[in-house]
Order: sequence, then structure tokens, then C-alpha cells
Amino acid sequence: MEAGIPIWWISLLLPLFVGLYGLVDREKGKPLAVLSLIVLLIPGAALFYYWITGAVTSAVVDPVKIDLTRHGIGVFYLFVDGLSAPIVAGISIVTALVALYGLKYMSVRIEEMREAGETPPGIGVYYFLYNVFALSMLAMALSSNLIEFYFFLEVSLVSSFLLIAYYGYGDRRKISLLYFIWTHVAGALFLAGTLYYGINAGSFDIVKITSSGITYVSPAYTVLAASTKIAASLIIIGLFIKMAVFGVHMWLPYAHAEAPTPISALLSPNLIGIAGYALARFAIPLFPGIFQSLRDYLVILALTTIIYGGLVALRQTDFKRFLAYSSVSQMGYLLLGIATLTSYGIGGAMLHYLSHAFGKAVLFMTAGVFITELHGLRDIRKMGGLARAYPLTAAAALLGFMHLVGMPPTLGMWSEVLITIGVMKAYSTLSAPGLVALALALILAFGVSAAYAFITMRRIFYGQLKDYLKELGVKPGYEVFDYFKAVVLLVAIIGVFYFVAISPVMASLKPASELVSSLLAG
Amino acid sequence: MTPEVTVTGFLPWSLIWFISYLGAFILALLYLAGVKNEKVYGWGSVTTIALSALLATAAAKEVFSKGPIYSLYAKNWVPWLNVTLGTYLDGLGVVMALIVSWLSLLIAIYSVKYMEGDWGVQRYFFFFTFFVASMLLLVTADNLILMFIGWEGTGLASYALIGHWYTDEEEYWVGVPGRKALGQPMYFEPSHSGVRALMFTRIGDIGLLIGMAVIFLITGTFNIPALASSASTWMGYLATKGILLPLLLIFSLGALAKSAQFPFHEWLVTAMTGPTPVSALIHAATMVKAGVYFMLRFVPIFFAGAYALMHTNPAAVEAARQYFTIMAGLGAVTAFMMGTMALVSNELKLILAFSTASQLGYMFLGTAAAGLLLEEGYEGLATGVAAGLSHLMSHAVFKAALFLIAGWLIHVAHSRFIDPMGKYAKYMKITAVSIWLAGLSLMGIPPLSGFFSKESVLHAAEEAHLSMGYSLGVITAALTAAYTFRMILRVFHLEPYDKEKWHEPHEAPGLMLWPYTILALVSLILGLYWTGTGKAIGEAIGETLSVGTPAHLVVRLTTGVAVVLTLALASIGIVWALYVPMKVDFPRLIREKTWARVLHDFLYDRWYINSIYYWIFVSGFAGVAYLLSIVDFGIDAFYHYAIPVLFALGAAGLRALHRGRSNYYMMLYIYFAATLLLFIYLAWG
Repeated sequence: MEAGIPIWWISLLLPLFVGLYGLVDREKGKPLAVLSLIVLLIPGAALFYYWITGAVTSAVVDPVKIDLTRHGIGVFYLFVDGLSAPIVAGISIVTALVALYGLKYMSVRIEEMREAGETPPGIGVYYFLYNVFALSMLAMALSSNLIEFYFFLEVSLVSSFLLIAYYGYGDRRKISLLYFIWTHVAGALFLAGTLYYGINAGSFDIVKITSSGITYVSPAYTVLAASTKIAASLIIIGLFIKMAVFGVHMWLPYAHAEAPTPISALLSPNLIGIAGYALARFAIPLFPGIFQSLRDYLVILALTTIIYGGLVALRQTDFKRFLAYSSVSQMGYLLLGIATLTSYGIGGAMLHYLSHAFGKAVLFMTAGVFITELHGLRDIRKMGGLARAYPLTAAAALLGFMHLVGMPPTLGMWSEVLITIGVMKAYSTLSAPGLVALALALILAFGVSAAYAFITMRRIFYGQLKDYLKELGVKPGYEVFDYFKAVVLLVAIIGVFYFVAISPVMASLKPASELVSSLLAG
Repeated sequence: MTPEVTVTGFLPWSLIWFISYLGAFILALLYLAGVKNEKVYGWGSVTTIALSALLATAAAKEVFSKGPIYSLYAKNWVPWLNVTLGTYLDGLGVVMALIVSWLSLLIAIYSVKYMEGDWGVQRYFFFFTFFVASMLLLVTADNLILMFIGWEGTGLASYALIGHWYTDEEEYWVGVPGRKALGQPMYFEPSHSGVRALMFTRIGDIGLLIGMAVIFLITGTFNIPALASSASTWMGYLATKGILLPLLLIFSLGALAKSAQFPFHEWLVTAMTGPTPVSALIHAATMVKAGVYFMLRFVPIFFAGAYALMHTNPAAVEAARQYFTIMAGLGAVTAFMMGTMALVSNELKLILAFSTASQLGYMFLGTAAAGLLLEEGYEGLATGVAAGLSHLMSHAVFKAALFLIAGWLIHVAHSRFIDPMGKYAKYMKITAVSIWLAGLSLMGIPPLSGFFSKESVLHAAEEAHLSMGYSLGVITAALTAAYTFRMILRVFHLEPYDKEKWHEPHEAPGLMLWPYTILALVSLILGLYWTGTGKAIGEAIGETLSVGTPAHLVVRLTTGVAVVLTLALASIGIVWALYVPMKVDFPRLIREKTWARVLHDFLYDRWYINSIYYWIFVSGFAGVAYLLSIVDFGIDAFYHYAIPVLFALGAAGLRALHRGRSNYYMMLYIYFAATLLLFIYLAWG
């Protein structure tokens, strides 16, 4: 269905205008934070409306499109269907609430940097880059065309690079450069594969939009024949690096740990997960045969990523680095769902994007609460017993961890259920020993996630207050429940809300996932 | 054989669980709004649970008079997975709902007094109410997903309440501080116990989820009545593929873990770090029964499936038999193992916890045995399932009473150990009577309800020709009598071991005294009026999914019963003889005699199973994590050191070629020109 107003273009342009206003008035954060909150929530609110009315089931397309067919590029649409709906919702809700959260965090951060004799750009610049970053991720999720997707990918990389370089921690110039190079290697591989395919095909469109809904273009081997493998490997490896699966994950712990925390809260769940979405949206429809031949390897890679990321996370002493490894592990779940090549698995992966977005954003924001209020405290070894001082933050963090582990009443349960069904469907022909082995592998993977989540919950929040904290004056009732912590709890509660209100999400996810998996059947 | 079902709307019957969720939600909102008054939370919780209990009672009346009710809100709550949203109240469901809601109510009232002045009382009552709602949802859910939501909800509440005193003061620990077995600590802080409980049950829950997924993929539904009526189809399909047995076992992992059956029993012991009312409600009377409920719910379904396939698919019948035998065996082993551990424990709540896991083993034994009675048809099934359910009920009542009493005893003794306790009978008469009633019921002495229900379970095991299970069950009956008698004798009648730490006790305040006195009396009444109780349970089973045949729970005085009763009385006699006329000094015996010490330590340190688990899983995974972090360092060094160094070297090498000296350039020119000419010459020729 075509939307009555250019809702998705509005969703992209309003944050840009708010951001530009930040460049004009660089030192006033408050109006920028509130405006960003409002404009970034627009796509999420619109989407909720389309979910309720059922319009998402067929796809909601923006009436404004950019037709570049004459140049051999194709058409740039902005649209949302059941597959991208969880992605759009996740980006919109998280970026909006983190924008508000960032007001206090970044004011403190910039103050702190200035006291240290550094000259970071003012908070207006932060909100400019922040809004550009947010809208570029949103645009990636709305894209119908590979070049369109790539363009916004670049925008997101440059804006996030600058955010890390300006406001990051540690050796931030080196780390931002490291981030820049890694993500551009990924981007360049993706672009090379894309160009190779698109120039031969005469168009970079992946999705054809008609009045009745969307269809996918023919698989790449119809135009590339024997060279399909080259294009496929370039695109898939590029996306794997962005997604940080085991082996090419090494950039992520640096970047996500040292970015300013509100940006970590966007990088970790929102940005890297888009690579998973792109696998389902672009890579599978283009290269169904290749995915089928790689299925078992990808499932093993996914399980390895889950277990490896989880176990290495357990050894981290830095809260944010711990969360970064946890993100690696969570990307394993996305890949696991996608690698099953079943509709349940693919849908589950998209839903897991949303639950991870809520959960990980909550946890990064929790880390940020302590960094802001406890003099930059990030070392887990110095934490302990914080639940009595910060009961509501602890409650939010528990809900955040439950999202990752997949426990009701959080949205995580639904993605866990879908991914499990997907795995069992993919391997429905196993013999008895195979079934037992698969069950053990799943139990191990899910068990490691629960272990790192709840062991870390204990290390940070339970036990007696550590001496270090006592010296800071932390005691029961220390927590002041201001907007800063309220948004943390709110994101967690939205995750619970989606757990209950799952019906419309599932209704639209089903046909979209089945459309992707049907491409694999032939 | 499923009885006729009446379908109604969502209201009023789904309110049984919904109203408690609403109550928990309101408590959370009050907390956010800054209401601190603990009375609001306590009595708020009691009120919502009372409403749930009244509704459950009304529902039971309906079900007993008119048959099962299916209260359906939405046929398609979650479209893709065809998840319905409804409450299925058959005989089993309402009996469970009755037990859960009324026990919760009494224990909530007890908690109001017990938790008075506690710093986390608001959180306590939030999770308490949330637990009751989840448990009621679990036992009345019409489909597996909804059941799973309740199942995980109870797990969350259990985690939160075990770790209620998460600041980990020593008085809230379990185990002797400093004690180690095989090099692993045997003392557990509340926050540690919470993680343990969550991990053990979570592992089982993934099994449950995998089982649900496979069954859904075959049948396209999670709806329990629908799965029951198609049992023969999907079981036959799985049997043909040769995976029926492993699948049923994986599906049941959740039940084994939740009900603390071997090899998942360890978490329940340390769950005793929670406040005592929580131990009474969650870790004795209700949540740990979720696994038994699962068995009571699914054994008839599996039975019906196998029964229908009896002549057409021998593989399915064989797999089902093996499944029932394994489950019964695990139950019997757990019953015995935990019974031995309870013999030597000196922590009051630990004795009761071992006992709980042991009694849960009986319930598994009886229920799984019911499935083996295929030749006897549905009547055999009904009798066995009724035995499991009756033991569940009588255990819930007497064990809740025992735990609530323990809560008061620990309070007056200022210690969780029984060493400073003794001679309490003189100071608290009503409590003494209560503990004797509840204790005798646990020991299986007539005319208390525990006698009848335990004999029914053993009878089922005997009928099913489970010789090992039956023998272990009989031995456990003797062990049970011994440890229970020892506990009551030492705490209420003998001089304390640790006389210096003894405090003069006094009777509990009314709000705490009455709940456990009522429960003890209920235990007596249920037993005295067993013909009525057994009949009611039998009728409830007759109104249960996939059973539909009333059971006859009559205990006749057979040789078997006489033997069990004699053994129980004999072991009581032996314990009495050892402690009273012979006055054996057990602490000295253990100190001085090696055999006594070895035996004592083996039992006291829980057969060393905990330590073995910690070596394999905790230390093992910590080791793997350490190795992986080295791998990670290697990957890091490769990308961020080796590759940059390689590039730097390459750059240096290339730079070295361009040093700006003309003679050097001349030499390179001549060299390359000569090479080129050589190639041209070769190509020409």
C-alpha cells in the first residue's frame, strides 16, 4: 500500500533539520534533545499505527521515489514490510529515547573533556551527528535498492566515526580510525560485490514494488552465471565483518567499548544488526543457492559465535567491553536464525534484532548511568552491591539481560521461540543421535548466554557494596530517579509491552519471512 | 478418552491467573509512584491472591459438577504460531489451581508478619504475587506457549526470591561457611544460589522448548487439548523416524529440572537461601511441583498415544515404555539419594529441602508408573495418575506446614542449624502438635494423608512391575521416617547439642501460627477422611484430559502396605533407640571413627555431586573461557599488530627502493631493461 503522505521521507528529513539546527546553536542541548526525541519517534509511531491497521502485512511504500532507471541504477523507494518492520521499530524507539538520555550523558562528558584541557565540539554538533547517524540507519532499513542502501551505510559510518573520534574514550583517535578502516573494508567488499552484480544486471533493485505488495528480483545466477560465487562472497563477507561474526569480530570490542555510551547503545544493537537484516533482505534473495550449500557451515559459525562471544564476555572486567562481546554473541543468534533458511528462523532473527535492540540499549545505558554518576566507573571488579543503591536501574538491567536470554515477559522470548522452531525445522530429518547432538548444542549456546547474563548481573548488582563505592558515598537510596534513569527503565518496559502486543508484529512478519524462504525452495 | 468440555468466554475463569498478574502490576506501579508503606504491599498481595483462590474454588465447583471448562479469549493470539489465549480447566487443572491458590494465600498471610520491617518487602510481595499468577497460568494454560510463559515466570520469581537478600550477609547463607568438598566450596550466598537455580532450570527449559518446537512443526499447534487428541498421529510419526524416545526425554528435561530430579537436583538444596515462606511456597509446595504437573498432564497424553498405537506401531509403544521406565527410574533414584542426604544434615531447611526433592521423586515414580500400565487400559492409568496427584496434594500441605514452622524455629533460635535447637516442645505446645502432625504425615504414618498418598504411589510402582523403583521407594519410606523423626526429636524433645547458643523460645504470633496450624490440621483431616479425599481426587482425574476414567484411590491393607509401615515404624524405633536410651554421641563418633566420618562426609557433601558439577561445568567452562580469551588475544594481535607490522615493513621496503641516488636508479634501469629484452628475445624465438 502506498502511504497517503511521504511518511518515510519525513522521518528522514526531520532529524536532518533538527541536526542542522544543532550546528547553528552549538551549546544548547535541551531543545535539541527534546526535538530529536520527537522526530525520531515519528517512524516508530507511524509503524505502530500501520501494524495495528495491518497495512504492514503488504508493505507501506512512500509515495515519493527517485527513479534512476535511465542510469542503470534502478529506483530508490522507501518502504516498510513485515521483515523490516522490527528493524525500523528498533531503530526509531532506541534512537529516540537514547537522544533524550544523551542530554545528561553528553553534557557531563563534554564538561569532563573540557576540564581535561581538550576541545571537543559542543553538544549541538553531537546532536547533528547523532541525528544523521540515526536517520542513516533508518534509511538503510527502508531501502529497496543496493546503491541506496550503500549510500546510507557510508553516511552512518562517517557519522559514527566522527562521534567516536570527537567524544570517545581511551585512545579514541586510534580506535576511531580502527573502526573506520574495518567498516570500510566491509563496505568496500559489499560495494564491489554490489557493483559486480548491478552492472551486469543493469539495475541495483532488489525489491520490485507493485500495488499488491513486493516481490524480489530474480536470483543473481540468472545474470552472473558462473561468477555468482565471486559476487556472493564479496557481499556476504562484507556483511559478516559488519555483523562481527566470529573471526572478523575483533574491531567491535574496541569500537563499542570506547565510543561515548549513547553511541555504543546505537552501534551495538542497531547498526551491526542491520548487516543481519541485509543478509535476509538482499543476500538471500540474490544468492539462494549459495546459502543452501553453505547452510550447515553457517549454522556452525553461528553457534560458534554465540558460544565464543559469550564465554569471552565472561572474562571481561570492563562493563562496556563485556557488553560488546555480548553483542558479538547476540549476532550469533541473528545469524543462526538466518542460516536455518526457514521462515521461522529468518523471522525470528528479525524479531531478535528488536529484542536485542531493547535489551542491549538498556544495558549500555545502565553502564552509562554508572559512568556519569560514579566518576567514570566501568570496571566490574569495583562494582558489586549496586542494586540497593540503584534499585530501579538494577530492575532495568535485569529486564535488559532477560531480553538477551529470551525470558518472558520480555520480547526476547518470542525470538527465542521462533529461532528454535527454525533450527528444528531446518534439521527435521535428523536421526536420534543427531537430534540429541543438536539439542545439546542449543542447550550449550542458550546456556552460555544465560550464564554470562546472570553471573554479570550478580557481579555488578548483588553482594555487599565494594569499598571503592562506599568511598564514593554510594549507599541505599543513592539513586535519584530523574529522566536519565527513567528512559532506561522505559526502554526495558517497551520491550515488555511488545512481548504482550506481539500479535500484529507476528501477523506481518509471517508473510514477509515466508516470501524470503520461498525463494529458497526452488 | 477426553471428557466433554464446556467452552466459555475469557471471563470469569481466566481471571484466576490474570487477576494476580494485575495485582503484581499494580504493586509495581505503586512502587514507581513512591508508595513505601509495607502494609499496602502485604495486604494488597493477600487480597489479589484471595480473589484468585475464590475464583479457583468456584471453578472447581463448576468442573466437579459439569465437567471441564475451556475459557477462551482468543483463538489466534499470536497468528504465526497459532497460539490461542485461554484457560483450560479440567480436573487436574482445577485441583492444581486450588492447591496453588489456597496455599499461596495462607503463606502470603504468614509472610505479612514474617517479612515485617524487611528492607525489600515491596519487592518481596511484587515477586510473590507475580509468582502466584505465573504458577496459576502454568497449571491452567490451554497451550504450551502460555504454559511456558508461566513456567519461565515462576523461574524468574524463584530466582528473585532465592536471591531476595542479595546483599549476601552470612546469616542468609546455606551450608557451613568455609566448608569445602573435593576442593569446591560447600557454602552458598543468596545471590549465588539464585544464579544456580536459574542456570539449572534454564538448561531444562531449553529442552522443553526444543520439544515444543518439534511437536509444533509436526502438528502445527501448541494447543494442549489438540495435541492430546492427535497424540497417536504425532507420536507414531516420531516413532517411525526413530526419535520418539529422545524427543520425549528432551521435552521432559524442563520438568526434571524444575522438579529438581536427578541430575538437576542440586539447585533446590541451595534455594533455601530465600526467605522461609518462599521456601515453603515455591521450593516445596508449588513451583517445584510444576514438573510433576507436567508429568500428570502429559503422561496421560503419551499413554493415550501409545494405547492407540498398541497394535499398529510397536516401535512407538516400546519407546513410550522406555520413556516411562526412565522417568520412573530417575524419580526413584532421586527419592533415595535425597533421602540419604537428609539423614545427616544439620540445617533445618536443608533437611526439608532434601526431603522435598525426595518426595518429588515419589511423585515422578508414581506418575510415570501409571504410563506403564498399558495393558490395564485407562483404569490403570487413572489410578497411577491419581496416586501422583494425591501425593502432590498431601505433600504440598504437610511440607508447607513444616517449612512455615521451620521459619519460626530459625527465627527463635537465631540460627539455621539445628544444633542450638532443643526441648522446644515445652515452650510452644501448638507448634509442637503441628510439627508432629505434619511430620507424621511425611513419615507416612496412618491416619495422616501422607500415608495414603505414599502407599498409592508405591502401589502404582508395584503394579507396573518396576522392581527397582518399588524397592528404592520402600527403602526411601524407611529413610523418610528416620530423618523426619530425628529432626523433630532433636529440635523439640532432646537437649541441644550446642547448649551455649540455646535461647528460650516462645510461641509464634498469630499471623504466623495459624497458617501452619491450619495446614497441619488439614493434613490430618485429609487423612482421616481419606475415603472422601481419595474419591474427590479420583473424580478429578476422571475429568482430566486424556484420562476421562475416574480412579479408585483406596488403600487396602496388603502385605506390601504392612511391610512399608513396619519398616517406617522400625526405623523410627531405631532412631529413638540411638538417641534416647543409647545416647549415641554422633559428633564424637564422626570425629573419632574413620568409617563414620567418610560416610557422614559423603552424605553431608551431597554425594560430592555438587563438587563434581563445579569441577566439570564451572571450572571447566572458566578454563575454556580462559583459553578462548587467549585465542581472542591472538586474533587481536593478528589483525591489529601482525598486519600493520607487515604493511609497515612492506612500506619500508618500497621506500628503500626510492632513495634518490642516480647511480642506483641507473642500475635498476639497466637490470630491468636487460630482463625485458631477455623476455622479448625468448618470446620471439
